[in-house]
Amino acid sequence: MVGLSAAERVYIEDGIAQDLRLDGRGRQHFRSLSIQTGVIPQANGSARVRLAGTDVIASVKAELGSPQPGRPGCGNMFISVECSPTAAPEFEGKGGEDTNLELAKALQRNFLGGASGAGAAIDLTTLIVIEGKVCWELYIDGLVLSSDGNILDALSIAVKAALSNTGIPKVQVMGGLSLEEADFELSDNPEEFSHLDTAQVPVTVTISKVGRYHIVDATAEEESQVSSAVSVAVNSKGLICGLTKSGTAGLDPSILMDMISVGKRVGLKTISSVETDIAAAERTLEAE
Amino acid sequence: MGGVRTFPFHMSEEEQRRFAKAQERLDRLGGALPVVNVGETIQADEEAAFLRGHGTQLVDGKLVATVCGIVERVNKLISVRPLRARYNPGTGDVVVGRITEVVAPKRWKVDVNSKQDAQLMLSAVNLPGGLQRRRTADDELNMRNFFEERDLISAEVQAVHQDGSIHLHTRSLKYGKLEKGQLTQVAPYLVKRLNHHFYQLKQFGLEIIFACNGYIWISGPSEIPDKKGASSELLVNVSNVNEMHQCTGNKESTVPTEKREKICRCANALRVLNALGLLIYPESIIDTYEASLMWGTDIKDMLSGEFHVKVLEREVSKRSKSV
Repeated sequence: MVGLSAAERVYIEDGIAQDLRLDGRGRQHFRSLSIQTGVIPQANGSARVRLAGTDVIASVKAELGSPQPGRPGCGNMFISVECSPTAAPEFEGKGGEDTNLELAKALQRNFLGGASGAGAAIDLTTLIVIEGKVCWELYIDGLVLSSDGNILDALSIAVKAALSNTGIPKVQVMGGLSLEEADFELSDNPEEFSHLDTAQVPVTVTISKVGRYHIVDATAEEESQVSSAVSVAVNSKGLICGLTKSGTAGLDPSILMDMISVGKRVGLKTISSVETDIAAAERTLEAE
Repeated sequence: MGGVRTFPFHMSEEEQRRFAKAQERLDRLGGALPVVNVGETIQADEEAAFLRGHGTQLVDGKLVATVCGIVERVNKLISVRPLRARYNPGTGDVVVGRITEVVAPKRWKVDVNSKQDAQLMLSAVNLPGGLQRRRTADDELNMRNFFEERDLISAEVQAVHQDGSIHLHTRSLKYGKLEKGQLTQVAPYLVKRLNHHFYQLKQFGLEIIFACNGYIWISGPSEIPDKKGASSELLVNVSNVNEMHQCTGNKESTVPTEKREKICRCANALRVLNALGLLIYPESIIDTYEASLMWGTDIKDMLSGEFHVKVLEREVSKRSKSV
C-alpha cells in the first residue's frame, strides 16, 4: 500500500472534488488499456491486460471431467486468482491469500451464475459432451503481475479476452443409445476446435468512493484513500450481472444507486471498446 | 509473444506501425552503443592487462557481463553501467524522499529509491531558533512535529559512507517538507544532471524539483520570494517547534484548478518522456508541454498511444535535423 503524506492525501481528495485527478482524468474516465491474446501457448485461451501500471494475465484450461450430480446438463467452470509477490510487498508469503480469495470470489460472483448453472457468463450447457457423464471443465486462472490499482476490473477484462481466445478441441461422440455405452474420441487435429460464445460475458467496473465523490478506475494512490467501493459487472446489453461491495464504510442507498448507474454507463462504454480491442488483438495474433 | 513490444496503454495497429518505424529511425540515428546482456563476453585485450570493474566477472579467462548495460572503459578499468538500477547516490545530489521511520536516537529514515534507506540526522536539519542552536532533549522528543512518517521532503546528500549508508541534510531554506504539489516517479538514469535542480518554469508558473533519484516534485511557485524576509525572521524568533510547525503547514487552502491543470500537464509530460526513455530536463519538459498545447491534446489524452507516437516522431525529426 502506498503511504501518502497528509499533504498528498489532501491534494488527491481536492483533485477529485475538482474533477481533475493526478493523471488528468475526470472522475468517470477509465485509463487507456492494452489487450494481448494468446500469450500462453500451453493454455486453451489466454490474455494479458495492461492498465497503466497494472498488469494481469488470465488463462483458460479446458479438461474433460464429469458434470456435478445436481446438474447433469451443465459443464463446469472454476475461477482462481493469484497475486504474484513481485506485484507488491504485501503479497509476499501468505499475505496475498486474502486478496486472492476476495478477487476470486468477486469474479466467481460475476461469471459463474447460480448454483444450478443458470445465468453464467458462458452457456454451461454448451460444455456438455455426453449428458450426465462427460463434460468440459474450464479452469480460469488469473495472475496479477503488477498492481497500480483496479486489479479486479483488469482481471475481468483479461478473463473476457481469454474466454474469447479459447479454443475447445472437437469431440466425436460414438456408441450406443444408452448412457453406459456412449463413448467419445478427441480430435487429434490441432486446427479443429470450436470457440465459445462470449457475447454475454460481462466486464466489471469498480466505483470507489473518495470523500464525497465517487470515481472509476482508481490508481493505487487513490485506492489508499477509498472508504468503500462497489464493483458492478455489466454485460453488453447494459444489464447488471453481479455486484460486490468492498470496504468497511457504509453507503447510503441513494448513493449506491448513483454509483450503480455510473457503473452501468461506464461499463457499457468499456465493454464496447474492450470488444473491439479483443477483435484487434485476435487479428494481430492470426497475422503472426 | 514473439518480438512484439507491448504497451501499458491502447495502441491501434496504425499507431504500433508508426511507433516501430520511429523507434527504428531513432536507433539508427543514435549510433551503436556498446550494450551488453547478462553473460555476454566483453571484448578485452588479452595481452594488455585490464581491471575488472563493477558489473563484470571473469569466467574461464574471459570477461563476462553480470548486468545488462553499457560498457564503460576508463584506462584499464572495464565496467558495465546497468541500464535499469536503483538510484546510486552521490554527494551533493538533490533528492526527494519519503520519511519511512522516525527512529531514536535523533534521526529519520528516508526512502530515496536507493538500495537502502537514507538517514537524516536531527543535527542536519534547520531547527527554529537559528543554525547554531544546541539540540536539546526537547527537540528530540518533538521530532515528529517536524517531519512525520510518510512526509515528502527535499534534501541534499551530505555524504555516502563506505558501508553504503547515505546521510542527508536539509540545512538550507530551500529544502524541507513538500506540500501542494504532485510527485511523479521516473527512472533515475533519465534525470539529467543540472546546475540547478530547483527549476522555475516561469512561463507556466510552476516549480519543479529535478531530484536525482527520479522522484520529481511539481508544484506551483512556492511562497518563498515574498516570504523570505519574514520566514528567516521567524526562524530566529520562534523557539517553540510546535509554533513553527503551525506556521509552515497551512493545509486549509486548496490548489486552484488552473494551477492544478498546469501541474497535471507537466506531470503527464514527464510520464510520457519516462515511458519513451527520453532524457528528462527542463527543455524537454517545456517542449513536450508546449507540443501538447499546440496539438490541442487534452491532459488525460497525453497518456494515450497517439500522443506517445507523436512525441517520439517529433524527437526523431528533431534529432535528424541536428545530425
